[in-house]
Amino acid sequence: MKKSLRLGTAVALAATASLTLASCGFGGGSGEEAGGKTTLDLLVPSYSDNTQGLWEDVIEGFEAENTDIDVKLEVQSWDNLETVIATKIQGGEAPDIYNGGPFAGFAADELLYPAEDVVSPETFSDFQESFIANAEVDGTAYALPLIASARALFVNNALLEQAGVAAPPTNWDELLDAATKVSGLGGGIAGYGMPLGSEEAQAEAAVWLWGGGGTFGDATEITVDDPANLPGADQIKKMIDAGATQADPGSTDRSPLMDIFIQGKIGMQVGLPPTVGQIEENNPELDYSIVPIPTKDGSPMTVGVMDQLMAFQNDGDKQEAITKFLDYYYTADVYVPWVQTEGFLPVTKSGAEELSSEEALAPFLEVLPDAQFYPSTNPKWSATDAAFKALFGQLQTKPAQDVLTEIQAQADAG
Amino acid sequence: MSTTSDASPIQAGAADGRPRPGRGTPTKGDAAGPRPRGRDLLHALPWIGPALILIFGVVLFPAVVMFYNSTRDISQSGVDKGSVGLDNYIEVFNFPYFWPIFGRTIVWVVVVVAATVIISLGLAQILNKAFPGRRIVRLAVIIPWAASVVMTTMVVYYGLEPYFGIINKFLVDIGLVDTPEGYGWTRNPATAFAWSIVVAIFVSLPFTTYTILAGLQTVPGEVLEAAKMDGAGPIRTYWGVVLPQLRSALAVAVLINIINVFNSLPILKVMTGSIPGYDADTIMTMIFKYIQNQHKVDVASALSVVAFVIVIVIVAVYVRVVKPMKEV
Amino acid sequence: MAVTAPAFETIAPPAASARKRRYTEDQVPLGKVLVRMLAGFIVLAIFVLPYVIMFFGSVKTKAQIRSVDPTYLPTEWHWENYINMWSTPETPLPQNLISTIVISVFATLIVLLVAMPAAYYTARFKFPFRMVFLFLVIVTQMLQPAVLTSGLFRQFLAFDMIDTWAAMIFINAAFNLSFAVWIMHSFFAGIPKEVDEAAQIDGAGRLRVLFTISLPLVWPGIVTAIVFTFVACWNEFAASLVILSTAGNQPLSVALTKFVGQYETSWQYVFGVSIVAIVPVVILFMIIEKRLVGGLTAGSVK
Repeated sequence: MKKSLRLGTAVALAATASLTLASCGFGGGSGEEAGGKTTLDLLVPSYSDNTQGLWEDVIEGFEAENTDIDVKLEVQSWDNLETVIATKIQGGEAPDIYNGGPFAGFAADELLYPAEDVVSPETFSDFQESFIANAEVDGTAYALPLIASARALFVNNALLEQAGVAAPPTNWDELLDAATKVSGLGGGIAGYGMPLGSEEAQAEAAVWLWGGGGTFGDATEITVDDPANLPGADQIKKMIDAGATQADPGSTDRSPLMDIFIQGKIGMQVGLPPTVGQIEENNPELDYSIVPIPTKDGSPMTVGVMDQLMAFQNDGDKQEAITKFLDYYYTADVYVPWVQTEGFLPVTKSGAEELSSEEALAPFLEVLPDAQFYPSTNPKWSATDAAFKALFGQLQTKPAQDVLTEIQAQADAG
Repeated sequence: MSTTSDASPIQAGAADGRPRPGRGTPTKGDAAGPRPRGRDLLHALPWIGPALILIFGVVLFPAVVMFYNSTRDISQSGVDKGSVGLDNYIEVFNFPYFWPIFGRTIVWVVVVVAATVIISLGLAQILNKAFPGRRIVRLAVIIPWAASVVMTTMVVYYGLEPYFGIINKFLVDIGLVDTPEGYGWTRNPATAFAWSIVVAIFVSLPFTTYTILAGLQTVPGEVLEAAKMDGAGPIRTYWGVVLPQLRSALAVAVLINIINVFNSLPILKVMTGSIPGYDADTIMTMIFKYIQNQHKVDVASALSVVAFVIVIVIVAVYVRVVKPMKEV
Repeated sequence: MAVTAPAFETIAPPAASARKRRYTEDQVPLGKVLVRMLAGFIVLAIFVLPYVIMFFGSVKTKAQIRSVDPTYLPTEWHWENYINMWSTPETPLPQNLISTIVISVFATLIVLLVAMPAAYYTARFKFPFRMVFLFLVIVTQMLQPAVLTSGLFRQFLAFDMIDTWAAMIFINAAFNLSFAVWIMHSFFAGIPKEVDEAAQIDGAGRLRVLFTISLPLVWPGIVTAIVFTFVACWNEFAASLVILSTAGNQPLSVALTKFVGQYETSWQYVFGVSIVAIVPVVILFMIIEKRLVGGLTAGSVK
């Protein structure tokens, strides 16, 4: 009997030993840092296939100047970014610097350094005021503007001409008319590319609801279920019912639809600065123009989006290193090539100056003054954003009012 | 014979296999006797201990965290704001789409598992017959297993997309779809869900087929010959002799399939991801939506606990009825 | 019992010879063979089709994959994709491959080492809480990985093992233990008990019985369990995503997502890497397939 026990124990021991061995033998790459070096964790999303390389260049340059600071880069796809950051925060291990969208929730939980605490006054004053204003909660900026984008209507000139449309539309009536005509060309060609699928439903929603005089709300209140938003929602249904859009707009995502536009099968679609680069890369022959987004009455409006960098407090002992890194990053020599390669609009005054002559960005810089932004300083914006993504596409089949009510309810509950 | 020679190197390396002269019969016969239960347990420990250590060492804590989180109020950024009792559960059950989602989950599990088992039984028969090229076919069947489920689904998804998709192009070319850009299979809840079921069956087949195939090897040749000599036709032999012998392997394969299919997220996530509303969701995609879209880890945890209870009930009923664990 | 207990040496040969006349190897007429081949070919075609499409995608350019007028076959074959993908700026793929191999191999080894004794013992001997144990094992599989990750992250943070292969080896081993135990258990349970008993009467120790008598008989089951575990580790994603933060430590499943940008995705690499990721598993399978179904008689079939 004893023996059988001993034999069993041998197995157990062998198993445990192998476990221990495994754990000794394979400590992955990240060791303890030696000699009092400060380590900064940097978590960023992937904008394009350039992103990883661009950040590596920034880090390399920075570490050469600051040998006492180690920057650890982690790049995640947008799909996974928020899962990763939420897990890290729950584990009490937030990254020191994070590049993301909604930040009001982090600020409300008092996890972030105020922006002014992690950049020098010179850097801070270089940000364009309107962008800083968009990062403020109760008068304090908690995030640093990183990049901006504005939307504009991309028009396939050849298709419009073929359909007998003389000039790009400027208001809804003209848009409906032009899109219907282009759709009439047949052969799988759609007049207006309308992506209401989950990928970026909130953007297309903003294009229409704001274009009809509506709003999503402000820093204190979310107002999706508002009569002012009805005209836009109704107009979307009108477009769909008239057959002026591609099939199944309610569940069509933005990126694949843009691929179709780029290949000349869609008359008009709302795009943003990186779209220019995509056309250049994939179908340089496309005959297109970029015009302001048509609105109900033709008054100028565009949807502005700004992504931010934010600095997490954690133990509160890395403020100095973070400041050094951010100051380095926002110097024009570092920041401008970064933003230029990613194809977005710069958020610093010095950057805007240097890129003002950039031809590809001109149409967007032109509409930027009329940009409206998401109410991203409202702590409920994140939930609202999610509600739009999950529910807005139902417009295709449900009454406009019902959809807005449902989104409002889910946003309020969040 | 290869039987013993193959095993001996393992024996030599793994532990000492000293014979134990004078060892009594350690079988059920006397285990069921008056020996104290504690001793039996003590004897079992060296054999099952490592498994227990691994499970308790790794799985216990996160599971407890899940239960704990389901009673907490966790902010969107992940900060714990204190206890809310059962509020998260109330939110789960008050969600207007909960019951349709629950029903769809059951349909999902039943249809996928049933179809998988039936097709696998046939597939295993084919693969068990001798024919030239069988080895290649067997290797081909393994591929969906080897490939990541996400990628298999991704390929089908792109094949089904309007404009780009090769499956859609094929359907247009043979005249089944009459819009030139194809049909939005993944754009409508019903068709997207149906295609998800197809993919789920497809990726479940290899494991199930191979388990059955392995089980077929344990059917003794003599028994089959005896059946043949009794004049039993192939169908009667299959039902009367082969299937009962497969019972043990099949029962476990079904159990594993039930759990896997119930917990399967990637297929539906990819195939129905762009569809608005909750008309193609199962409990798993709903958990995912709570986490990923709404950042409600607390409610997601509550729904996970509910899902956990559901699957335990299903498995308990299954184990009760099918008794996959043969009595010792 | 003594009646059914022949000497130890005589046990294995009869068991093996019974296998020799398997359910498979009858003499069959040519017509039947052709029907089988046809059926086999159809099965083959269905099972490889998605991966052929995947492969075609992997030799296209980014633009061709997203072409609105798709072609069944690639118009140009960009084999260089298979070279270029190893040195993209997005992810260090060679390291990702090594990482995947190390994690999967060690996790599978641990699972085997831990699950086999448990499966054997539970199939052979009665002890208190036996069913509780088996149920406990399977319960680990019913938990949702997506919800467990935050707990796992905290736990391995406390162990100071975040971003290490060891953490993922343990996690994979622990979560894949259950199916391995159950699969092997069902196969051990399938061997007539008398076979063991005879050997034990003959004086063989329990471990020796396990390794010399039972194991060879359940090879198909063990191989099924190995493949099952290995594949599950190979494709694991949810935990790796949060536990491994350094790009070089991440497995292929996480590396794949790096090709997905905000507005465009390098699908040719996603498909190419997926194809590459399938290969080692198929090779593993080729090596042990004989064990699985050709079984011990493979040598005698030829």
